[in-house]
Amino acid sequence: MYPFESAGGHGIYLPQLKLSLDNSHREAEWVFISHAHADHLPRDRHSRVIATPFTHQFMRLRGFKGECSELPFRERLSLSKCDVTLFPAGHILGSAMILIESDAGRLLYTGDTKTPPSPVTEGFDLPEEVDELIIEATFGLPIYKWQPIEEIQAAMQKFALQSLQDGYTPLFLGYNLGKAQEILHLLAPLGVDMQIHGAGFPYCEVYQQAGFDLGNVRAYNRATCEGSILVAPSSALGSGFASHVSRIRTAFCSGWALTEARRMQMNLDAAFVLSDHLDFFELLDVCKTLAPKRIHITHTPNPTVVQHFLEKAGHQVSSLEFSPRSEDADG
Amino acid sequence: MGNFLAFCEVLEVIGRTRSTGRKSELFATYLDSLNVNRDQRLVGDDLDQIIHESEISIALACQYAGEGAFRKTTGKRVGIGSRTLALSASNFCDIDYDVVFKACRTVTGSGSEAISLLLKNLPGVKPKLRPHEWTLVQVESLFERLSECRNRDEKEQILQQVWGEMTPLECKYWIRILGQGSLRIGFDSRSILRALSRFSGQEFEQLRYVHMLTGSLYDTARKAVRRELESAHFELFRPVSFMLAAPLSKKDVSALDFSQYVAEEKFDGIRCQVHVGEGRVSLYSRDLNEISESFPDLVEWFRFKSLTPIVLDGEIVAFEKNRILPFQRLQKRLGVKNPGEKLIQEIPLLFIGYDLLYHHGKEVVNEPLEVRREMLESVCDSFGVSFSRQFAVYNIDEVRTLFDAARARGNEGVMLKKKSSSYEFGQRRQTWLKVKEPAGSLDVVILYAHAGSGKRGGTYSDFTLGISVREDNRFEEEFVPIGKAYGGYTDQELRKLNQRIRTLILDRFGPTLALRPEIVVELEFDAIQVNKRTKAGYSLRFPRFRAIRWDLSVSDVDTLVDVERLLIEQEDRVTESQIKPISFILPDTK
Repeated sequence: MYPFESAGGHGIYLPQLKLSLDNSHREAEWVFISHAHADHLPRDRHSRVIATPFTHQFMRLRGFKGECSELPFRERLSLSKCDVTLFPAGHILGSAMILIESDAGRLLYTGDTKTPPSPVTEGFDLPEEVDELIIEATFGLPIYKWQPIEEIQAAMQKFALQSLQDGYTPLFLGYNLGKAQEILHLLAPLGVDMQIHGAGFPYCEVYQQAGFDLGNVRAYNRATCEGSILVAPSSALGSGFASHVSRIRTAFCSGWALTEARRMQMNLDAAFVLSDHLDFFELLDVCKTLAPKRIHITHTPNPTVVQHFLEKAGHQVSSLEFSPRSEDADG
Repeated sequence: MGNFLAFCEVLEVIGRTRSTGRKSELFATYLDSLNVNRDQRLVGDDLDQIIHESEISIALACQYAGEGAFRKTTGKRVGIGSRTLALSASNFCDIDYDVVFKACRTVTGSGSEAISLLLKNLPGVKPKLRPHEWTLVQVESLFERLSECRNRDEKEQILQQVWGEMTPLECKYWIRILGQGSLRIGFDSRSILRALSRFSGQEFEQLRYVHMLTGSLYDTARKAVRRELESAHFELFRPVSFMLAAPLSKKDVSALDFSQYVAEEKFDGIRCQVHVGEGRVSLYSRDLNEISESFPDLVEWFRFKSLTPIVLDGEIVAFEKNRILPFQRLQKRLGVKNPGEKLIQEIPLLFIGYDLLYHHGKEVVNEPLEVRREMLESVCDSFGVSFSRQFAVYNIDEVRTLFDAARARGNEGVMLKKKSSSYEFGQRRQTWLKVKEPAGSLDVVILYAHAGSGKRGGTYSDFTLGISVREDNRFEEEFVPIGKAYGGYTDQELRKLNQRIRTLILDRFGPTLALRPEIVVELEFDAIQVNKRTKAGYSLRFPRFRAIRWDLSVSDVDTLVDVERLLIEQEDRVTESQIKPISFILPDTK
């Protein structure tokens, strides 16, 4: 059994091992960064980071200048008090789960995860057997159940083509790292010109180097963007992005798009429930498959409900409430 | 024909469609799909039967889309609360209502959406489903059965049948139709009438007029399909929707041509439609409910006048010794059916008419205001009924002067009415404009935040506000609730509030958060009322945010003693005596 402390933000600190899981703790010797989304990055540049090569590459693009031990998937690394191995998490390119093995047992921390994995990741893979599991539960309610990605993709393609055919520019809203590339990949088979928000473009090159088809994508250019498929984060809406294009149709791509209220509040032409987290039932399945002795749930606005269902399924559950996730977070 | 699932699918598409015109187009196409092609090789009874069913399906589709399970005019309702529905569905889904359902409803902001998603997602539900095709007509008989249920068990039986035999999508809309409220798809009765017009080829204005007369989308659609719109006529004792006023905004003032408007004082009373005829008098409130039993003195007074058949629109005010009394006094008579002689004596009433809808055996709503006014004056003069005085105003300064005078006479503000306007039943447009101001404001603190519903689902949008009782030895606590507000802020302010709230959570009760009292709000309201059912003993009428005072701290919050002082000022407000009334005209009674 491992004792835990908060490492600030989404981070969890294991004082026994002086290891921080995401973000960073001032006493940590090592910090594992599960993926390169801003809310998981280290708070200071002095921590010695463990991350996959792609996560490290994205961190560099986001201005990280500290030291990093790149650890490829399924390779074991010995730290002073434990061994660690990374497994693909299916959330974004480079995203990893970490298996920690020490005298205190085998602990798996999922970071942000998705199964079936996002098509623009290295996949999703679990270790054989664990004693303890820390699992994210961003979508921790049984109202959240995703459609198969093929159905979402077909609907997105239909929306894009119909808009173009009607003389409208389709704009897909999704954040710059991960979701944007997934959108591009799903629309690539259309063979249509696409432009992505400037801040998201450098990440595309990494995806392309990794062998993912992102179609005919270029960086956003105000002068030429009309008539291309556009991809940008929601935050770009109020800041002039394509604001001169009057015939535009906007689609939001997120797990949060599942509720009517969210769709209505955003005044959209379309909403696609495209998440890069596992849904409620996939979460229960992962727990069932791993059957750990103890489950800790984290990153959730609804710990009570997740706990309730897991306990009914016979698991021992606790909630790491010091890292809640608000419903405004990207999803 | 008239498949309920197909109907729900169309509603769902309409909900996801942004353009109002496109929504109507979609619904028109759907209505057309219910229509019978009269060239079909059917003869005699068969054809008649099919045409009849088609007409009913079209009428029901319009009713369900905009009016609810029953025609409004029937006054029928199903007595099932949202909690009963949610408990029954939770039962069917085999989930814990308190732990699971409440959290799902909080996030969606909608019980019907939560039920629908749970039915769709939970793996344990599937084996229980016995899907079966429902027609619109069958759904109608289901509503009928439900309204005739006399006990809980019978209702529960029907609900279990619904969860098992309808698809999750049908369940969602079935619940919303049952609630007689909005379907939350941004499709109002105006748009339904547009669709009906497009489908039936009948004039929109004519449909709107028939809808006003019949008060029913079902009847309107039925008449449209049967080409019987001419047969609709105004009937005494069937109330029609009131014409409403839009607030006069700063923007309007600069663009307004005052010469086209006439001003009246805005009375602080109860809006009322009076129907008189055939020896009978009925009073109707703004929500079209009959309120005659609450005001027998007024009914008797009208009966004594033996007016010719007539429908008047006007205001009931409390009036004593030539003064219009504050609304608080009148309020004591609200909702009291068959009041005793003592209460009637204590709070004498006066009806002040300001519009005329029906006169000399025909409706006059399409006449311009000036013409209606002339008729109103002549009727009121000959029968001794009070009616509002009209004032000419030529600019905003004159409106302000009148506003101050109206306030001094105990009235709420000023109305501006366009002289050429017809009586626009059920509409709130620029033809009637109201000028009013809040009665007062208080600095209060947010004690609880409640999850919003509908459009505001997923955010905390309703707030319970507290007043300070720190140095009040009647209370143990520091703050007591004084009211609940859910408006007056901008979307941006609401977002900021929601971020801040997250850092102040003390406790969670389902959709409600108890907060550390820190956020101070300047609250404005229309009046303070004594309310024995609240801890504070008082409540506020129509409280809304004026500003979030990030600059103030809890020590600045007003006290209950402040509230009591304001109430005394309000009740003791001496309104000007109107021995020869100015706000209205009281004809000599011969």
